[in-house]
Amino acid sequence: MHGIPATLAFNDKIPYTRPTITVAGWVRKQRVSEVGVQRILGLMASLSEDPVVLGINDIKEKKEEETEIDNNNNKEHIDKVVVIGREEGQSGGGGQCGERDMAHPTGNPIHRSGSRPQLDLSKAAIQGNFEERNPTILLPNQSDDISHLALDIGGSLIKLVYFSRHEDHSVNDKRKKIVKERLGVSNGNRRSYPILGGRLHFVKFETNKLNECLDFISSKQLHRAGLDSRWHPESPANENAIIKATGGGAYKFADLFKERLGVSLDKEDEMDCLVAGANFLLKAIRHEAFTHMEGQKEFFQIDQNDLFPYLLVNIGSGVSMIKVDGDGKFQRVSGTNVGGGTYWGLGRLLTKCKSFDELLELSQRGDNRTIDMLVGDIYGGMDYSKIGLSASTIASSFGKAISENKELEDYRPEDISLSLLRMISYNIGQISYLNALRFGIKRIFFGGFFIRGHAYTMDTISFAVHFWSKGEAQAMFLRHEGFLGALGAFMSYEKHGLDDLMVHHLVERFPMGAPYTGGKIHGPPLGNLNEKISWMEKFVRKGNEIIAPVPMAPPGTTGLGGFEVPSSKGGTLRSDASALNVGVLHLVPTLEVFPLLRDPKTYEPNTIDLADHSELDYWFTVLSDHLPDLVDKAVASEGGTDDAKRRGDAFARAFSAHLARLMEEPAAYGKLGLANLLELREECLREFQFVDAYRSIKQRENEASLAVLPDLLMDLDSMSEETRLLMLIEGVLAANIFDWGSRACVDLYHKGTIIEIYRMSRNKMQRPWRVDDFDVFKERMLGSGDKKPSQHKRALLFVDNTGADIVLGMLPLARELLRRGTEVVLVANSLPALNDVTAMELPDIVAEAAKHCDILRRAAEAGGLLVDAMVSNIDGSRENSSSVPLMVVENGCGSPCIDLRQVSSELAAAAKEADLIILEGMGRALHTNFNAKFKCDALKLAMVKNQRLAEKLIKGNIYDCVCRYEPAN
Amino acid sequence: MDLGNLGIQPNSDPNGSKDHVSHMALDIGGTLIKLVYFSRNCECSVEDKEDKPSNDSLLVSNDHKKFQLLKGSFHFAKFETSKINDCLEFIQCNQLHFSGCKHHGDPTNDKCIIKATGGGAHKYGDLFKEKLGICLDKEDEMDCLVAGANFLLKAVHEEAFTYINGQKEFLQIDHDDLYPYLLVNIGSGVSMIKVDGDSKFERVSGTNVGGGTFWGLGRLLTKCKTFDELLELSHQGNNRVIDMLVGDIYGGMDYAKIGLSSMTIASSFGKAISDNKELEDYKPEDISRSLLRMISNNIGQISYLNALRFGLKRIFFGGFFIRGHAYTMDTISVAVNFWSKGEAKALFLRHEGFLGALGAFVSYEKHGFDDLMVRQLVHQSPVSAQDGGYKIHGSQNGELKDNESIECSVYVS
Repeated sequence: MHGIPATLAFNDKIPYTRPTITVAGWVRKQRVSEVGVQRILGLMASLSEDPVVLGINDIKEKKEEETEIDNNNNKEHIDKVVVIGREEGQSGGGGQCGERDMAHPTGNPIHRSGSRPQLDLSKAAIQGNFEERNPTILLPNQSDDISHLALDIGGSLIKLVYFSRHEDHSVNDKRKKIVKERLGVSNGNRRSYPILGGRLHFVKFETNKLNECLDFISSKQLHRAGLDSRWHPESPANENAIIKATGGGAYKFADLFKERLGVSLDKEDEMDCLVAGANFLLKAIRHEAFTHMEGQKEFFQIDQNDLFPYLLVNIGSGVSMIKVDGDGKFQRVSGTNVGGGTYWGLGRLLTKCKSFDELLELSQRGDNRTIDMLVGDIYGGMDYSKIGLSASTIASSFGKAISENKELEDYRPEDISLSLLRMISYNIGQISYLNALRFGIKRIFFGGFFIRGHAYTMDTISFAVHFWSKGEAQAMFLRHEGFLGALGAFMSYEKHGLDDLMVHHLVERFPMGAPYTGGKIHGPPLGNLNEKISWMEKFVRKGNEIIAPVPMAPPGTTGLGGFEVPSSKGGTLRSDASALNVGVLHLVPTLEVFPLLRDPKTYEPNTIDLADHSELDYWFTVLSDHLPDLVDKAVASEGGTDDAKRRGDAFARAFSAHLARLMEEPAAYGKLGLANLLELREECLREFQFVDAYRSIKQRENEASLAVLPDLLMDLDSMSEETRLLMLIEGVLAANIFDWGSRACVDLYHKGTIIEIYRMSRNKMQRPWRVDDFDVFKERMLGSGDKKPSQHKRALLFVDNTGADIVLGMLPLARELLRRGTEVVLVANSLPALNDVTAMELPDIVAEAAKHCDILRRAAEAGGLLVDAMVSNIDGSRENSSSVPLMVVENGCGSPCIDLRQVSSELAAAAKEADLIILEGMGRALHTNFNAKFKCDALKLAMVKNQRLAEKLIKGNIYDCVCRYEPAN
Repeated sequence: MDLGNLGIQPNSDPNGSKDHVSHMALDIGGTLIKLVYFSRNCECSVEDKEDKPSNDSLLVSNDHKKFQLLKGSFHFAKFETSKINDCLEFIQCNQLHFSGCKHHGDPTNDKCIIKATGGGAHKYGDLFKEKLGICLDKEDEMDCLVAGANFLLKAVHEEAFTYINGQKEFLQIDHDDLYPYLLVNIGSGVSMIKVDGDSKFERVSGTNVGGGTFWGLGRLLTKCKTFDELLELSHQGNNRVIDMLVGDIYGGMDYAKIGLSSMTIASSFGKAISDNKELEDYKPEDISRSLLRMISNNIGQISYLNALRFGLKRIFFGGFFIRGHAYTMDTISVAVNFWSKGEAKALFLRHEGFLGALGAFVSYEKHGFDDLMVRQLVHQSPVSAQDGGYKIHGSQNGELKDNESIECSVYVS
């Protein structure tokens, strides 16, 4: 019972102590108020009568039994997966999922067996990696055998973009069907032809290792209309398959492609492709562009209406400068022959480096002053200030190599590399600026493989642009810099629908082993999860030893693909601080912008910006500390088998590796907010096929909470309207204490049952809360004096955790709203995240609760939640039809937070008639959306379960509460 | 040794007597020291309207002044900055430093002051003081470049020329139509100066990829011992061996859509990446050629872009990088022509390397420190047909005959 005194101390500080009761042997002073007594008596009754409540010891005793249940569930789930595998023509062995899709097996088995109507989760951004077999949505021109692959074959590198289909299991889900009917959910797009759901992958090869590229394409059958033909072995191999390609090599190697793969390369113009690629990236990918000054990256979302004109500088072997005025409207205005090829070519001659990346890496340790003639060298260390040149300005690149009697061998390759890099970057920056100036262009985007996210390169170019423009022009870079041409070639397939994509349709994921660009490392061609785990075990060490998270190919084990083997460094991983990772782009056409955001353009979900390194440090520690517990839970949720342990271990390594990578380079995965970090963890769990780590815990907590619900409801019903509203809000806040993501709360769990904790938490409720707009909210709900306000038409309740949180907190609040004639839509996660309740679980919970409550039952029936439910034994007379409905919609994500720029179409549809939003919990109301403004009334409710956040956000303490009400206007 | 004179008789003194050296100025750059000095052949007086004390009127007007006409020659010499001692010796041998500070004939004055510009004027000030007992009076580098260029363009006949397809064409530029122009001085680095008039100018740009880069990289890549050797090599080179051409990427075809012929260099040194060849496998000639094209082309492009920015029609290229080297001039001309689509022209100066030094020399007048005023230059010899530009070799031997001169007349009050 260590730790309880702290709780007591907390209470003692408060001058007015609410009445508390004796629970589990601890006693507190009581000061009685009538309301309190009433409430407590009710709860006490329920507690004493409740047989389900578990003491700490009970939990241990029951554990074995639960594990058995879990095992059964798990088996069922695996069976299902295997079936899928077989359908897909796989021979998945044993319990291992038979995955073929390389490098990104998130392997999320969406088809969990369950007693409730199954949710179609395919809309969620996270997807099983099986390629789509079921042609629900086909490429209109698929019969033409045009593959979902495009190439950019440059002088030094081959860039490859390919597309893999989502599973799209539309819908035999009754709940969903009803939601659709009721809310009028459109299919998410109103276009003449559908956007494909799927993924875009980015891979690169060295041009002089063309065969590896051909092998890669061949092994994945990318040239045969994507992967579809794999599932249709009966369809004859088409001899006239066509692949879009750009870059000079599209001409040069056309014959080779014909010979080796039997495909024709359809040559697309290089400039067309570059521009199409850049326009796509800038429009469709959030925070694609960033500036880079003195090592600091800053991401930008550029307003589409303010995008044109811009100057696009593509630095490949040579450099092209293109003025872009719109889609397909552009002109190559300039260029230079001093580009990436010059850097590498001269660098090779001067340093004997074996690869471009090696040369780049050398430059990081170089000192160009030993070779370059600086202004200071000429002026005896003085600035030439009259014309604004500082002593350290390079007056003449390589200028020192002339006056000394040193030979090539006397110079360090590092210094030569840096000097060369500076010379070329500076020169490109200057010429680019002069061209931008010429056309009055403010923004210059630099792309192409020369940059590779290399800090020095970007800094030098930025410096040059800044210097020559006197700060008026801005150098910007693109995260997918190397893939402009390949993306553009991909875009040139007609009617793929890609150019209709909007920012909110795309979600980027960073699975382990994803093709890694912007740097030297390519993902290994991992065939399935098992290979991935083996690889993780071998090459990614746990904890702090990891120096680079992104996999490199184990020497000798990769037969495929241009994956470099770190010949000189054995099994160790190279750190690559400056390069950025490029993930797999998930195209989710059904995602939409939440329509009730007051200003979607300025909306920023994250409250905490992890660009602040101390914040990152802190959350890094929090997440690291929490990791062992999470792994335990995850392994247990899968039955604690050896396989689960192995996967758990791999997950821990992978997630630690992600964290290490982000510590090293916070911008590695793009703009990083806390929400992204928390989602990354969930993604990582799913990647290693942990479907729901908290499954059994959630179930147990739901049962315990449901058992006390009837008494709570009875208690509430006996109160006056005004008292009841306060009690309800208080109940939500108190119940929000349950959060397996919070360290403090996990500690609490070790001290008592959830009901005990809930009660304790309730007893601590002291108004005024740290943020307390309750009175304003109450006035809106109940009016003041004789004025009775109009009731809300529809309320969206964004729910948080399972157990007491949903059952004793949000459901009673929902019931109250229903009772007042307001339609209620419970908005829950599409996929599990921590112990958050999911949209799939909610109908069960509601059904169970409805057994004890007519209001809930009628509303749930009206909302279609009880269609085939077992509560039908309660005599449902026809009066029900008059009830306002209670509905459940999924939010489209699988994270403890929510980014309202990307929500499911059913949520978007539900939002259209909503005039009240209630966001509950730290993840959705504090970490994200704390500062979000809505078009309708919004109530944000949460208990802060993190000291640092409490201090930072509300200048309070852990367990303080937030009740923030913001009326529509 | 081949001097290649300027087409102006160096020493036309019929007496063959040792010229009286009058004035000297220095331009001490990062790579080279450029030296200009004046030697008299004869004197005669010219009377203006009335006699006047000599020291009061220069800054006001010279209407009422008495001038002394000095006839003589400008001489030009250069040394490698790394061999600055050669330069000091040369000055000492020729007693040049006794002439800088004073009116004729007072060689005992030890407070000698000599005009100097370039970064080295700051850096080596103490050395000159110590070795020769002279003070370097630092003149601003840009001031000098511009003054030198303006002086040459106005005073020297057929100073400027274009170089297209191996053909030099001299232009006489109308003084009234001279400004504004872009002056590109290619030394170790490159300065680009917009000139609007006498001492009206602004350094608008520059690049760190200049002569020093050519020589520095060239030395590392070819083991050449001198700049000129490196330049010489480039004559026999073929850059296609090393440069990646548009044709290399497009399988021998042009990229016609954007107007790039298959022979256009897509990436300088771009071929050095894909071959399994080492540095030793490339001919130094080819390397030198490739390097020269890369740098010349780059300078040409940046210059044009700056000219465009300010609406300047003429770009004068000067500085020691060029050295009248045909291929360099050709590449720069082609670059300017290519990027400007024929609208801008690259112009070169015969005395390209000495702009700074000449400017420093001219500054004697400007500052009123001395009373020298260059009035006109007299071409005494018609030998202007001499081909191929001139080369300047490092004057290690310090002999006068290694350098050129311009015959001229100056008035001294």
